[in-house]
Amino acid sequence: MADFIQLLVSGLAIGSVYALAAIGFVIVYSATGVVNFAAGQFVMVGTFAGVAMLVDAQLPAPLAYSAALAVMALFGALFFLVVYLPLRKSSVVTIIIGTVAIGITMQNAALLTFGSWPFRLPSPVEGRTLALGGAIISTHALGVVGVTAIMVAGLWLLFNKTTVGVGMRAVAQDIQAARLMGLKVNRLLALSWILAALLAGVAGLMLGPMWFADVSMGDPIALKAFAATIIGGFGSLPGAIVGGLFVGLSEVLGASYISSAYKDLISFGIMIVFLLVRPQGVFGEKIQDRG
Amino acid sequence: MRMTRKDFLKSMLAATALPFIGSARAQQADPILIGATVPITGPLSLTGKQYFNSLTMAEEDINKAGGINGRNIKIVFEDTQASNGTAVNAFVKLAQETKPAFFFLSSYSTQNLAIAPELSKVQIPAMYAGGADAVADGGNEWMFRIRPSDSVSAAGMVQCAMEVLKAKKPGILYIQNDFGQGGAQTAAKRFDAAGIPVVGMEAYGQNDKDFSAQLLSLRGKDADVILIFNYPQDGALVLRQAKLLGFKMPLVTSSAALVPAALQLLSPADLEGVWGVVDTFMDSSVGGRMQDYVERFKAKFGTDPDPYGLAYYDGALLMAEGMRKVGTDPKALRDWLAAVKDWRGIGHVYSYDAKGNGVRDLSVVKAKSGTKILEFIQTVSLN
Repeated sequence: MADFIQLLVSGLAIGSVYALAAIGFVIVYSATGVVNFAAGQFVMVGTFAGVAMLVDAQLPAPLAYSAALAVMALFGALFFLVVYLPLRKSSVVTIIIGTVAIGITMQNAALLTFGSWPFRLPSPVEGRTLALGGAIISTHALGVVGVTAIMVAGLWLLFNKTTVGVGMRAVAQDIQAARLMGLKVNRLLALSWILAALLAGVAGLMLGPMWFADVSMGDPIALKAFAATIIGGFGSLPGAIVGGLFVGLSEVLGASYISSAYKDLISFGIMIVFLLVRPQGVFGEKIQDRG
Repeated sequence: MRMTRKDFLKSMLAATALPFIGSARAQQADPILIGATVPITGPLSLTGKQYFNSLTMAEEDINKAGGINGRNIKIVFEDTQASNGTAVNAFVKLAQETKPAFFFLSSYSTQNLAIAPELSKVQIPAMYAGGADAVADGGNEWMFRIRPSDSVSAAGMVQCAMEVLKAKKPGILYIQNDFGQGGAQTAAKRFDAAGIPVVGMEAYGQNDKDFSAQLLSLRGKDADVILIFNYPQDGALVLRQAKLLGFKMPLVTSSAALVPAALQLLSPADLEGVWGVVDTFMDSSVGGRMQDYVERFKAKFGTDPDPYGLAYYDGALLMAEGMRKVGTDPKALRDWLAAVKDWRGIGHVYSYDAKGNGVRDLSVVKAKSGTKILEFIQTVSLN
């Protein structure tokens, strides 16, 4: 039982990070129709924003985290201006290739700036553990699950109880109608990118202490976030959350109870089964032109 | 014939460029070119940077000492990154464009195996540092290993587990590639031969970041010691996660987790109860040539040297001695290397066997309690 609790917390912590990356993915896709293949690199940038503030600049933790998130908000706005706006009227393939190219550029820019050696990003609860039902639980892992829950609650409030959030949903549903209703569509689209970058930033800051911060960390996150989105339902926010947690848990529990050698096969195998049997995912709507 | 302005400009351009082209060719012909395909970027660069630095230092030292009978050497590097495909492309590029007299290949067995067929085609001697027995078993007569093979490493880890830690129920965690699988299987066979069966073997992928499932599975099987066959970054992460999971049993790691590049990612607490094997115990306190190497490397590059880099430094000095004696003819140099016996490098005494293995010893070490300083426990030699 103790081992199961430890596995559960590990799976939920990793799943939470996948979920945040997947939510960012879905917010951008719903609002703009762009499948952002640089989503994993957004998380990597978030981790390195933390490295820059906490390790390089040695800022006190509250200031460092705020500064890192401010950098991510700026990054999201910049991405909207420099990548999305020039490409928005291009074909889907052009946009996809564009985001892939930008992802590679981001990774190499990080390599040039920070070098190829990984960094150890400290956690606010560095090295602390809790004893729970005979299991030793990492306080950081529990914190990751808690912060993700708060972020999800915040997103629910944003999208359901604020004018800006409702506006963003309106743009996601029908951009022309939203424009005719007098909504400032470009501003709301920019907010979607900023929100996605902020979520990736939070994911990156939480992931850095769990893994080491290295410039190639974005690729596996992007793949898992993509799998989470397919399983949960492309374009569905609850789907991204459930999908992310499911991928994290299946990875850890599958490795433990089925085979550690084939743990990636388990999560990607489930994704393929979903694509074949239920392409709309758990929460998605049954439509024919799914991206 | 009347010269137009265009013809005049062309002739001026040719007159200006020719001396430079001539000079460049003369300079290129002058030094003996050595090719080095090493991971300079990407996750494997944690150790790759060390070979880059140590080979650069060896180049300077060899040239300062008069080069190869008056001719300087020049090492031309190509980046292999963390990909076999990139490693092969880097090798082919050097072989076709630079045409070096000798090669240094990376310390990653999978890259060594990928390059081996290409090396057979160009027939140039090469030194490599990958540990997998499969590389030497491939029977490529042009390849010479400058580090202990995985059999030697596995023997050292098993000896540490059985003799020092008195293991009765060992478990094994390994990276899923030629290095990890080979090392894990060798270790399991050795435990079996000693009448101590392994209670569990768990694998992980090279890009995996979470090892809790594998570690907990081994603990669930009551492993009293866990042997870990790892690369630097994942090795450091395994040690760290084991501590966060509250593991108290000793962990015995392969050499990559104890190189300075990996140690900088760990805290002293992460290293409590961690044992391991290293190719060579590197510390100024050893004195002599080791002290000189350690201090000069540190002063020059601002980082501690690691045994992998030292293997390349030793290899370069051995290559230079061979070139001084038999020249750069590939066959003559290959034959000279194959016949090397008891050549005293800084890290090891090199004697090549029929499979191109030159090193058969390593050191067991442990982190001093509360520090990241490694202390020497014993030497393991496999003959």
